[in-house]
Amino acid sequence: MTHAAEGPGRGSPPGTPRWVKVFGIIVLVAVLLLVGLLLFGGGAHGPQRHSFSPATPAAALRTS
Amino acid sequence: MTPGQRRFALTTHLTISLGWIGAVVAYLALGVSAVTSEDVQTVRAAWRAMELTGWFAIVPMALASLLTGLVMALGTPWGLFRHYWVLFSFVLTIVANVVLLLHMPDVSVLADVAQEAEGASLAGLGGDLLHPGLGLVVLLVITVLNVYKPRGLTPYGWRKQEEERRAS
Repeated sequence: MTHAAEGPGRGSPPGTPRWVKVFGIIVLVAVLLLVGLLLFGGGAHGPQRHSFSPATPAAALRTS
Repeated sequence: MTPGQRRFALTTHLTISLGWIGAVVAYLALGVSAVTSEDVQTVRAAWRAMELTGWFAIVPMALASLLTGLVMALGTPWGLFRHYWVLFSFVLTIVANVVLLLHMPDVSVLADVAQEAEGASLAGLGGDLLHPGLGLVVLLVITVLNVYKPRGLTPYGWRKQEEERRAS
């Protein structure tokens, strides 16, 4: 890996890059969404709450 | 680290990290099978396989990826807190590990439930697709950060760079 020097290097630190701000906003929104889902989504938390697909109808399940 | 050691560490880190992604994809395939299959034995087997894949493939590779990532960061000039992309990768990897370790006991419980459940109870278990789905997105984001290495020094990284510049 190379380690190129970055920043102005003249006494003042470089500003925060735009991609960092965008990335931070996306992460913040995602975290707030997940926290909101956990707090207001009914309380119980577990894998069975998160299935994307509708449950297979019970009658459709068969024992082979 | 010497160049040889660095290359070995990088190879190890890449292999383990990409293996982590592959194991999550396999877990998702099993989850989809648990949701879509109409066969009880297939659903039960999928849940047991998800439990085994989680504990014996995903968890070890997640922890090893965190460890080898730390070795790479601290053993090279990149450092752990100097560059935003390294810092974000580190934080996201820790978050992914914590969520994984908190989630896996639930998977074990549900895998046990699936062995006894029938009909609606079994179908109601779903396939645990959200956690691995979001986890996969996070892992792909980390991969992109590690490949593109977007520029950006943290204030700490800038201070260290200035110190080194003055010292040299």
